[in-house]
Amino acid sequence: MSVNVTPTPRLTSRPDGTSGKNRKVKPPSSPAARRSRRKEALWGFAFIAPAVILFAVMGLYTVGYGFLLSFAQWNGFWPDWNWVGFDNYADLLWRSPVYSPIVHDAAWNTLWVMIAVPVLTVAIAFPLAVVLNSVKRLSGVLRSIYFLPYVTTGIAVYFAWQYILEPNGALNLLLKSVGLGSLSQPQGFLGNPDTALPTLIIVMVWSAVPVAMLLFLTGLQTMDSSLLEAAQLDGAGWWRTQFSVVWPLLRPITAVIVLLNLRDSLQGFQIFLIMTNGGPGNATNVLGLETYRLAFLNELAPTLGLASALGWILFVVALIVAFVNQRAMRRLG
Amino acid sequence: MTGHPRRLARRSVALASAVTMTAVLAACGGTGGGSPDELEMWTFKQSHVPALEQAAEQFEQETGITVKIQAITPDDAFLTKVAAAARTNDLPDILEVHSNGDDHTFGGAGLLEDLSGVVDEEWTDQYLPAVADEGMVTQEYYENSLTPGSKWLGVEEGQRFSVPLTIGTFGIVYANRERLAEVGYTEPPATWDEFIEMLDAVGQARPDDGGIANGFRAPSTGLEWLLQPMAYGMLGDQPYRDLFSDDPAANWGSENGVAALTEYGRIQPYWTPGTQSLSIDEADLSFAHGESTFDVGGTFTLAFLEANGFDPDNAMTFAVPPPEGAAIPDMGLAPFALTGLSVTKDTHNKEGALDWVRFLSQTDVAQDFARNALDLPPNDLGPNPEDAVGPVLGAMAASLSSDENAYHAADTSYRPNAYDSARVGEVLADFTPLDRGDPADAGRNLANLIESYWSEQNR
Repeated sequence: MSVNVTPTPRLTSRPDGTSGKNRKVKPPSSPAARRSRRKEALWGFAFIAPAVILFAVMGLYTVGYGFLLSFAQWNGFWPDWNWVGFDNYADLLWRSPVYSPIVHDAAWNTLWVMIAVPVLTVAIAFPLAVVLNSVKRLSGVLRSIYFLPYVTTGIAVYFAWQYILEPNGALNLLLKSVGLGSLSQPQGFLGNPDTALPTLIIVMVWSAVPVAMLLFLTGLQTMDSSLLEAAQLDGAGWWRTQFSVVWPLLRPITAVIVLLNLRDSLQGFQIFLIMTNGGPGNATNVLGLETYRLAFLNELAPTLGLASALGWILFVVALIVAFVNQRAMRRLG
Repeated sequence: MTGHPRRLARRSVALASAVTMTAVLAACGGTGGGSPDELEMWTFKQSHVPALEQAAEQFEQETGITVKIQAITPDDAFLTKVAAAARTNDLPDILEVHSNGDDHTFGGAGLLEDLSGVVDEEWTDQYLPAVADEGMVTQEYYENSLTPGSKWLGVEEGQRFSVPLTIGTFGIVYANRERLAEVGYTEPPATWDEFIEMLDAVGQARPDDGGIANGFRAPSTGLEWLLQPMAYGMLGDQPYRDLFSDDPAANWGSENGVAALTEYGRIQPYWTPGTQSLSIDEADLSFAHGESTFDVGGTFTLAFLEANGFDPDNAMTFAVPPPEGAAIPDMGLAPFALTGLSVTKDTHNKEGALDWVRFLSQTDVAQDFARNALDLPPNDLGPNPEDAVGPVLGAMAASLSSDENAYHAADTSYRPNAYDSARVGEVLADFTPLDRGDPADAGRNLANLIESYWSEQNR
């Protein structure tokens, strides 16, 4: 049996002999068609121009401006910057007897926050998600209730927390009314240097748990149920299933949650500014707040360059954290 | 069909050009002096707005020039806005500024008109002699501007960047007159010891709301409003200045320093609970709402208290007193300019702006402003200030002293340039109200911190 095979014609035939595979055939172009295409391209550029300009101004320009500022001394008003090279970085990290001790203290506080907030958030959000995932009735209502802190988090909520935590606030009243008066704080939970930072950490965790819980819940609901059934058939109990099957499968999500909270802990300062302004004394000063203070609360002293340098130091730390997290995720993945 | 897109494109380009040109012209124009008959003024004091608006009405009737007043609060928002406006040539015609602070910074940066050629003797004769030169760059300020890290870089000796609008001082204690009367006190305390006795008596009678409030969230307040005036009276001028030196035999770690801190520490049991977490406004509100019986502030506090419902007639005010056996037993508080008026370089109506500043400086206008704003004017109020500005403000004016032994809170010439009162205040707050450590610890920590500022300056 013979088969008549008709050779398939090449899609394009190029005079230089290169393959023209997957290339569209260009129609013959007339001057009118070229003008039309040019006009079309111009309109395209016109439409994306606002976004490009915004990115250039708000993104590239400000980043570049901030980077250059970190090598200068300036108070926001002088007509010229006073270039100081790497002095700002050196002063912040070790050299200045005024600024380096403040930065070191703030770094310790920041480190505590960076450790406590992600760990506590995961420790609370994961069990909460597991419980919510197994609830059959009112699960939608319960999810909404647990998600409420995220929806309401903001400046107003920080002020509300202040009222709860003050000497005559709801928390002290509650403790006294249930016979735990010895645990109440006569100066308020934010007025005692020993309780101020742990209290702020708890408020941060309260704000962070909803999103973490939602991410865990998403992971749980997309999990292949046959894995859990297989574990049960193998004789694993509920606890064993959670720790040996569910938890390892959710590690990538845990890594994301930890990274997000590390970033917030490292760079966030609003809660510290609003609720304590770094006090009492210097008990709750963190690096993010110190950057803000150097930039805007230093009575017009020329420390904007120092603030910018501290911001870049924080950026480098954040990069390192992200890199470590990425490596960890690769291993876990 | 092809004609329509072309026309559309042309129209679009024309419209975009018009919008762009309008935006560019608006940006170049700035807000200052939009019209020769209109002026714009920014202030960081909300309590000054109604009084300034009332004065502006009178000014408009006399000159036909309208003055629009805008308050931008708090202070850091005001400074940020001024910095942003300066970079876009959007400054208003007139600014209310912190005297001998913002004015020199803005002036050194070229944002303000030098008024030294305009403000003559006839103008300054309206002011109290003690504050007539406030706003000028003295030799001391000029020398300060030459040191590395100075915020006054660019000023020249003899320049004047503001004229005073309000004067006063820190270190004024406000007490609830009715509550004091309940425990038998009708007169202010003459000494620190009497003050502590008064606090104790009220505290025992009213354990829940008998305390003293201070806004330690701005930690410099405990230092500058309470400890410093007390220590100045206790030790006298030179030993007080030496507390801020790097001499271990005379600074806060010395015998003098520890003695002053020991005296100051006697106030520890009487703080309103949670005062270490309060802002200045919150502390004032605590007093105004009856949650505290005493409040530490300045002459400027009265307006805020009244605005928040406190009856000024129920306020007993007195200067922080020195202890018994003090070097200056009858110490008074010297007034200094708290805020001033500056004309910006962006103004397109310099003459109108100067007229407005000159108008506000007139004694009759200043008295009206003082009564409305409940803030002391820089003008000479004569032998009976009560007649000029009312009983409470008048009593406060009369309590200010021009004596050479008076404590001058604005004199900071004895401190290193890098000195940061907020940081020093944080260290002091550790001692009281946080009650961590004894006077010797506090003295040592204060001395170490101030020593670091001297090291920074000499680096």
